[in-house]
Amino acid sequence: MPDPITFTIDGQEVAAKPGQTVLQAAIDAGVYIPYLCYFPTMKPYGACRVCVVEVETPSPQGPRKATLASCTAPVSKDMVVNTQPKHIAELRKGILDLLMTEHPHGCLTCHRIELCGSQDICLRHVRVNDRCVACPKNERCELKDTVRSAQLEMETPLQYHNRNLPIHVDDPFYDRDYNLCIVCARCVRVCEEVRVDSALSLISRSGRTIVGTSHGSSLLESGCEFCGACIDVCPTGALVERDYKWDKAVKSVNTVCPNCPVGCQVFMDVNKRNKVIRVRGDFAGAANMGMACFKGKFATDYPNHPGRVRYPMVRVEGQLQRTTWEQALERITVGLLKYKPAQVGVISSPRGTNEDHYVAQKLARVALKTNNVDSALNVVPELTESLQNVLGHPAATNSIWELEKSKAILVVSGNPTEEQNVLAVPIKKATRAGASLIVIDPRETELTRYAAHWLRPRPGTEVALLGAILRVVFEESLEDKNPGVNNAGGIGDLKQKLWDFDLVRISSVTGVPADAIRAAARAYGAVRPAAIVYGADTIGRADRANLVQAAANLAMATGNLGVRGGGLFPLYHGANTQGALDVGCTPSLLPGHRRIDRAEDRKRIAESWGVEVPSETGLGTNVMFEAMAGGQIKAAIVMADGIPPKSDLLGDVQAAVGNLEFLVVSDYVMSEIASQADVLLPAATYTEISGTYTNLERRVQLLRPGMALTGEERPGWQALAAIGQATGSAGFEFESSSSVLAELTGLVDVYKGITPERLADRSLQWPVWASDHAGTPVLYNEANESKPQFRAVTMTAMDAQPDREFPLLLAHGRVLQDPTRDVRITKADELNQLSRDEIVELHPEDARALGIAAGDLVDVRSRPRADGGSDLFTGIARLTSPHRGMIAITTLFASVASDVEHSQHPDPAPRVRGLPLRQVVVTKAPVAATAAD
Amino acid sequence: MTAPFEQLKTRAQQRWNELTAGALPWIRVGGGVSGEAAGAHEVTLALNKAIEKANRRANVTRVGMLGLCYAEPLVDVQLPGGDRIFYANVTPEKAAEIVQTHIAHGVPEASLAFAQVPAPGGSGLAGVPDLNDLPTMKRQVRIATRNSGHIDPRDLLQYVANGGYAALDKALTGMTPAQVLDEVKNSGLRGRGGAAFPTGTKWSFLAGNKSPVKYILCNCEEGDPGAFNDKGVLESDPHTLLEGLILAGYATTSSNGVIFIRQGHEEPIEAARKAVQDAYDAGLLGKNILGSNFSYDVEVALTGDSYVAGEETALMEAIEGKRSMPRYRPPFPAQAGLWQKPSNINNVKTLSYVPQIIANGGAWFKGVGTPGSAGTAILCITGEIQRPGMYELPMGMTIREVLNQIAGGPPAGKRIKVLQTGGPLGGVLGESDFDVQIDFDAMSKTGAILGSGGIIVGSDDVNVVDLTRNLVAFNQFESCGKCFPCRLGTTHMVEVLDRICQNKARAGDRELMERIGQSMKVGSLCGHGQLGYNPILSAFKYFAAEFDELVKDHKGPVGAFADGTMIVPTRTRP
Repeated sequence: MPDPITFTIDGQEVAAKPGQTVLQAAIDAGVYIPYLCYFPTMKPYGACRVCVVEVETPSPQGPRKATLASCTAPVSKDMVVNTQPKHIAELRKGILDLLMTEHPHGCLTCHRIELCGSQDICLRHVRVNDRCVACPKNERCELKDTVRSAQLEMETPLQYHNRNLPIHVDDPFYDRDYNLCIVCARCVRVCEEVRVDSALSLISRSGRTIVGTSHGSSLLESGCEFCGACIDVCPTGALVERDYKWDKAVKSVNTVCPNCPVGCQVFMDVNKRNKVIRVRGDFAGAANMGMACFKGKFATDYPNHPGRVRYPMVRVEGQLQRTTWEQALERITVGLLKYKPAQVGVISSPRGTNEDHYVAQKLARVALKTNNVDSALNVVPELTESLQNVLGHPAATNSIWELEKSKAILVVSGNPTEEQNVLAVPIKKATRAGASLIVIDPRETELTRYAAHWLRPRPGTEVALLGAILRVVFEESLEDKNPGVNNAGGIGDLKQKLWDFDLVRISSVTGVPADAIRAAARAYGAVRPAAIVYGADTIGRADRANLVQAAANLAMATGNLGVRGGGLFPLYHGANTQGALDVGCTPSLLPGHRRIDRAEDRKRIAESWGVEVPSETGLGTNVMFEAMAGGQIKAAIVMADGIPPKSDLLGDVQAAVGNLEFLVVSDYVMSEIASQADVLLPAATYTEISGTYTNLERRVQLLRPGMALTGEERPGWQALAAIGQATGSAGFEFESSSSVLAELTGLVDVYKGITPERLADRSLQWPVWASDHAGTPVLYNEANESKPQFRAVTMTAMDAQPDREFPLLLAHGRVLQDPTRDVRITKADELNQLSRDEIVELHPEDARALGIAAGDLVDVRSRPRADGGSDLFTGIARLTSPHRGMIAITTLFASVASDVEHSQHPDPAPRVRGLPLRQVVVTKAPVAATAAD
Repeated sequence: MTAPFEQLKTRAQQRWNELTAGALPWIRVGGGVSGEAAGAHEVTLALNKAIEKANRRANVTRVGMLGLCYAEPLVDVQLPGGDRIFYANVTPEKAAEIVQTHIAHGVPEASLAFAQVPAPGGSGLAGVPDLNDLPTMKRQVRIATRNSGHIDPRDLLQYVANGGYAALDKALTGMTPAQVLDEVKNSGLRGRGGAAFPTGTKWSFLAGNKSPVKYILCNCEEGDPGAFNDKGVLESDPHTLLEGLILAGYATTSSNGVIFIRQGHEEPIEAARKAVQDAYDAGLLGKNILGSNFSYDVEVALTGDSYVAGEETALMEAIEGKRSMPRYRPPFPAQAGLWQKPSNINNVKTLSYVPQIIANGGAWFKGVGTPGSAGTAILCITGEIQRPGMYELPMGMTIREVLNQIAGGPPAGKRIKVLQTGGPLGGVLGESDFDVQIDFDAMSKTGAILGSGGIIVGSDDVNVVDLTRNLVAFNQFESCGKCFPCRLGTTHMVEVLDRICQNKARAGDRELMERIGQSMKVGSLCGHGQLGYNPILSAFKYFAAEFDELVKDHKGPVGAFADGTMIVPTRTRP
């Protein structure tokens, strides 16, 4: 840490960090300098000039005075800064006076502003639509505070102009009223600089300069990912969320978004009617750095739904009827204990806290004596659990924002832009800083645009590519020559087996040219640090453990374990799937990643609980619903918040639970699952509870209640503990979520040092070994940790079972923008909807067999999905698919945004469909070919 | 002399001899901005047609501009080894006549001729003045424009034949980069883009930076109405700029040069592109220039249509493909400029002096002009004046001398009332200051700036309030819209001036403009806003009475159409 620079500001001596500007140092020192265009998380811009100060710098000729914009003036030693001399105050006033001529300002310069109520008759005759009460950002307007600090005169000789621009109210989620805009360009900059999207731009020039999209297009076609970052930085009412637009917050609570494993820390604004009205990224949030995404910002208000389940219900003569908790619990106890342990299952909510998950698994194991317990969205357990076998810990090795510093990033079969949105941001930022991105995916995703190397293998051969990359790494001597902590065992065997991954062979298996594989291997292997981000969107069950092993082999061989900016990141689903795994809410692991199949592990837990732990590995979520449908599971508890009734990930949950003999559901609304319950328990949602989530980077974060519970709803842990007590089992006498946390930290070693008090201060990344241990951002950076193992990866033969009805595989991609193709904007419910002529990529041989020529209009129909529907596309054939048997289509992200906006369901986020490979049939459309190609 | 350069020089000499003393007559038609505007294209067609009709052959070449705009289209005919006879204001008809007499019959007609350059040793044509004795030419010291109007700008060999690239050869064979830099420092050369910063000092900031990639940017954005000397030099003699740019690269050990031209300046763009390509082909650019260890690459980049793109940091944004808006400083371009690499921005004229400075020595250049402002001023004089043109004059003449002695004074019966110097940000100059020396420091003392060297002359017919409104409206239109004081201040200033011109002035309007002006001057991010109040400030200084007349006596409206709507100045280009 270099020495601080001391300087004087308004007579006060202040120490600044080297490289800081005067404004940054002043903010740190608590000295107020008004500013408008500057924003603390962005680079200075130097446009508003409101932050001018007088700066006196010593020089041999005596001190030199200058008037500088403090946001761009670097601090230098012994500088003397005065923020309030008369001429500076006058200058500031002069600039703000100019600014006020284009912002409806009647109230901003009025001395009565604080006294005036919304119903008062205005003595100044400020036009009704120029009043601050007519602005949705009234009472939280940054411009107002800044202007009022300068104390402008009420009268000005300058002419006021209203821009009279049309207000954009037809794009999803938020309104843009550029009549209120002050052209500080924060939104433009946050979009480009922070989100790497550049969907917004300044347009026109001089006094007409304003914010817009290129060519004035709808946001849908601009490449906007609807993250809402622009709204959060806007100092005026120009950009506001449309829902609850006029609502004012009575409190703002710091909590965690329940929609994906990134675990964004957010501020949740709650109004006086106990509704969550707004979600804003917390700039101090270590996982998200102030960001959010379309799901987090615009699809988190489901707790407001008027149809909330407020009291327990039981089925009487086929109808759900209100009852008391006591009677409901009694019914549950009787209902569940009828069945053998193997016939019972517990599914916990993907939005459950660590405490919920802990009590869920304890209930299953202690009261129901079964290991059939899992977190609902833990559908690809291999992604994390295989890491335990290979490296020691079943979790991502590094922190999300280290990706920004990686020199190379390899993304395999994942689409973080949609599924783990904020995680894509550091990846994109790294590429801008010169890192090379390598994407292995048959689908075109948002990240392929940033990729220096996009390897597009034949679906199902991704793992073979990883093997080939490792082989090139050894062939070209790119491996880590100084294996210290990375000195994993089994390297000899591994190298032997790598002969299978000969480039000619792999090239023919994967359909990727050998040169491209070699180039990608060099891009990953020749620089340090390099990270691997992997999902299993296109990878079959049989190959998933291999995928993890292959990725780990690659990271270990190149010395990318235990270093900042390196490591492995699994892309799984569910906001707290990691926490569920940690506290043992899985069929194969007990709390603290202890293994069911290991006697000493079971013994440790049994000693603590005072009961035997069932020894047979249970059913996971990925098979439990099938077992329900098949009748092997006859009774279950389903914590349904966040479980989509029909989805690609879980299949037809609705039908599966309908087949049960006895179903207990905890839900916040009468969902498709809840309505089939024999006993329905009212659930508290994420806004109403205290608890902890563990995110993708092992960060344990605190949820704080913002909304008050108004009925008999109970948090998951409380409901489950009550069931536990009702069954007569001991060990469920929890008083609060903190007491659950206290019990589980005693069993989960990596959580040992975690307490609610510490979390209130800041989030902690496990392992946290003791109450004074600061947590572990990077795993395996200490030699005494678990010894990783290289293991050779076998190539599984592709299960090539041709399907007669749906013979082709569709690799459905999705991108934010595609400027090369025209789109049409149509209106649906007065909102913009986007459509365009899609292009269907076919392999020439498949096309020939189907009698399709380039330019023909073709219909694509998928095998019926779990929800009964089919994917249907009509598009223009182009014979550019790289693989026989694979077709590809790339649609625009805007359709997802529109779907979420139009969704009638209170909770659309879990229902956003991903992009799995689909079996399809392609036919020539009955229409004549168009010339659109 | 390096061997590659010796070969090049031999080829060039052959080419030159062939043109001036070969088998065919050489006809040079003055092109460039002013020639083109005066009808050089039609004249060239007429010449070719007449030659064909007369069944003769001749080399007809479009050269750049000599700078005598009042005489355009200029046609310069030279029979093999003979005198150069200049014909002025040639029309297609006159062109046919010239061909008839001079080419077909081989006898120049003195009554048609405008000026001449006698063949070496010859006495020339009786009764025709020597070109260099013309009042417009006599006092010129042509350094950057030495070849303008004399050679074909698209022909590298013609440039080399007239001493071109000798300075580069000299530097690469006998001078270290530091010596070249010292020579430029000693010459006293100051930047011709407006700020008049000592060029050698500017280069030394870049020379001191050890980055492997460093840029020299040459600014030919030239958006000032009334200024065409950057375009003039570039389209008339692109190689003198290119040689200067390469020398600048050598002196500062830079790796890349970029010539940045405004889109729409078609002739300069084509000339620059051709020059760069020819220089690559001749080994004057690229790896190991002329066999030396010095490698240098140059490209031509274009802006969009924006005046502010001429501001050095906005220019870098434009080259990077972004909206051309100025950056804040620090970091200064010498630390982090184009693509965040150390960069140095020079004007076309500045760089075009460098080859002669290196060839003749810094002391020689310092001997021209005044002690504080070495060298020449390349002035573009337009407006209500007898002899508009582009004149390269030594620093130190007074403006009145230039107007009357060089440019021939106002048209008969008129009086020069007002000058607009240094572009729209420079403001106006009244008669009380016409005796100021053309010299950076003397000019800035009067509040005017020499700037780009454009001087627009206005007579008594000009209403200064309307002129001021036009200038401010230009500044308003060309504001990039980034910083608040400039974006809003210029807009409000136009509004107030409109009001005054429409007889609707309000009490306190002058104070209001002063207040806005102060916010802009101190508050703005770049020079555009900081200087944007200059037109009004300078108009108040010289012509306050005219404002009062309008405000108090309601003498308007001025600058308005009959229906009262204001005449908005058209764009610098449509």
